[in-house]
Amino acid sequence: MTALLNVSGLSKRFGAVVVADQVDIAVYVGECLGVIGPNGAGKSSVFNLIAGTLSPDAGTVRFDGVDVTNVPAYKRARAGIVRAFQIPQPFPKLTVYENLLVAAQYGAGLTGGAAEDWVVGVLREFGLAAKAELFGGSLTLLDRKRLELAKAVASKAKLLLLDEVAGGLTEREVEELAALIVTLKRDHAIIWVEHIAHALRAAADRILLLHFGKKLLDGPPVEVLGSPVVKQIYMGLAADEAA
Amino acid sequence: MKAAVAFILYVAVAAAAGLVAPIYDWAGALRFMSEMFLYLAMAELWNLLAGYAGLLCMGQQMFIGLGTYCLFYASLKLNVSPYWVMPLSLVFSAAMAALAALFMFRLRVIYFAIGTWILSDMIASFISRTPELGGASGYQLSDVLPLINFDWFDQVIFWIAAGLAFAAVWGSYTLMRSSIGLGLMSIRDNDLAAASLGVDVWMSRFIVFVIAGAGCGLAGAVYFTAQLSMGPGQAFDPNWVVAMLFITIVGGIGTLEGPIIGTAIYFGLREIFTNELNLSGAWYLIALGAAAMVLMLYAPNGLWPEIRDRFGVQGLSVRRHPPKTLLAEAAE
Repeated sequence: MTALLNVSGLSKRFGAVVVADQVDIAVYVGECLGVIGPNGAGKSSVFNLIAGTLSPDAGTVRFDGVDVTNVPAYKRARAGIVRAFQIPQPFPKLTVYENLLVAAQYGAGLTGGAAEDWVVGVLREFGLAAKAELFGGSLTLLDRKRLELAKAVASKAKLLLLDEVAGGLTEREVEELAALIVTLKRDHAIIWVEHIAHALRAAADRILLLHFGKKLLDGPPVEVLGSPVVKQIYMGLAADEAA
Repeated sequence: MKAAVAFILYVAVAAAAGLVAPIYDWAGALRFMSEMFLYLAMAELWNLLAGYAGLLCMGQQMFIGLGTYCLFYASLKLNVSPYWVMPLSLVFSAAMAALAALFMFRLRVIYFAIGTWILSDMIASFISRTPELGGASGYQLSDVLPLINFDWFDQVIFWIAAGLAFAAVWGSYTLMRSSIGLGLMSIRDNDLAAASLGVDVWMSRFIVFVIAGAGCGLAGAVYFTAQLSMGPGQAFDPNWVVAMLFITIVGGIGTLEGPIIGTAIYFGLREIFTNELNLSGAWYLIALGAAAMVLMLYAPNGLWPEIRDRFGVQGLSVRRHPPKTLLAEAAE
């Protein structure tokens, strides 16, 4: 089986700041790849490079067997690379239903009744049916995060890029969200950047550690989260002390 | 169905008003209505830009000027009646808007507002310093006056203006009901998120910018045809966009009904202040500004949203609703 997303040798720098340094990533459908790293490690930049809102200095992004390195963001979204933002970005003056309709008509390329039926299905799946006529801007934080994921699903994304979607939620809500993400793994490939380690442990199959734009580790959650390198980077301990 | 009835009524009333006007000597009223319809068309198009596409264009007068110059220039050079070159104005303004978009769309939000404003001023300055384009004094239609039948002049202008206003309102409604319209509203709310869902932000805005440029170009051409003369200062007057902005904001930006109400208020205030209260020049503008401020304090979203929410009336709503069965089922 070939990877849905294949990133190789991806590099990007802003002046002296290196945000991506020869990064290689492969993600398969049915898999959730967690990404951790301290602030400034280049997590968001890697997302921007994959989504197409940044263009790399070197390296390639292959999606679904096609080289999309020079394809603009909106076309990548139509092809199935869709991100959910750290701070949810609903369309505030559109209703929940209309928010999802944008995703269905543009991302998924559906029209008319087919788009409506599809949106209705997504509304049910995400428990947003009762809130269909509310404005995107009027939702609670958890519902806005739900809507953010629902939009990605409504656009028939194949690869979900989740950008710290658990941030700002209560413990219970984090569990709910992680459970939702586990169900999404069935038919999506997921890359999830997150600070909250136990949320990642619940959903991720592999975890990748980024530091100064470099991939330091890539392996099973227990191994990576327990590794001395992680402790060293996050807590400033020397590797031998931590061990 | 309701739409078809409304359309027939509109056409019937406009046609009848034009036909009976000469009998009752309504020439003044017809000219007033023509002007109102042209302002409505421009405001509706500007609302499409600023209220739906997120394009705060402060240089929209450039298309009024370009359309007007195209009409006067072509009419005089080709020696044809101005009516026949109106379509040319429309096409020329559309082409200029497409060209301007290539450069202006590199600027974002407030820079776009300033950039379009400056571009308009640059074109106006260039024309007023170019004798081949009429220089600072502009053009009069005097050479082609024999080609115009003045028995019907006010009526024909009125019909064109009424048609243009209708096309602007109905066209906007149709556009906003389409998938392009939904994409535009998502761009207005958040362009980054819209692009992340597959909306082609550049192309959506381009379509609207060209439509608005073409429409304003034609509206300007019709307006100055009625005046029979023009100059760069009048045609590229920044007050054009100020009027569009006033009408749209007061009526309710981002609603299709807003500019209709805004136009009525703008002209209503103008009549009251200048005819009834005899305010002139600067005093009129001060009164208009004061009225705008009072309205903004009590109805910050404009008047139409207030009316709509208070009385629960449905106008030209472009809201999409989920199937009723879903809501009923969710309510259980």
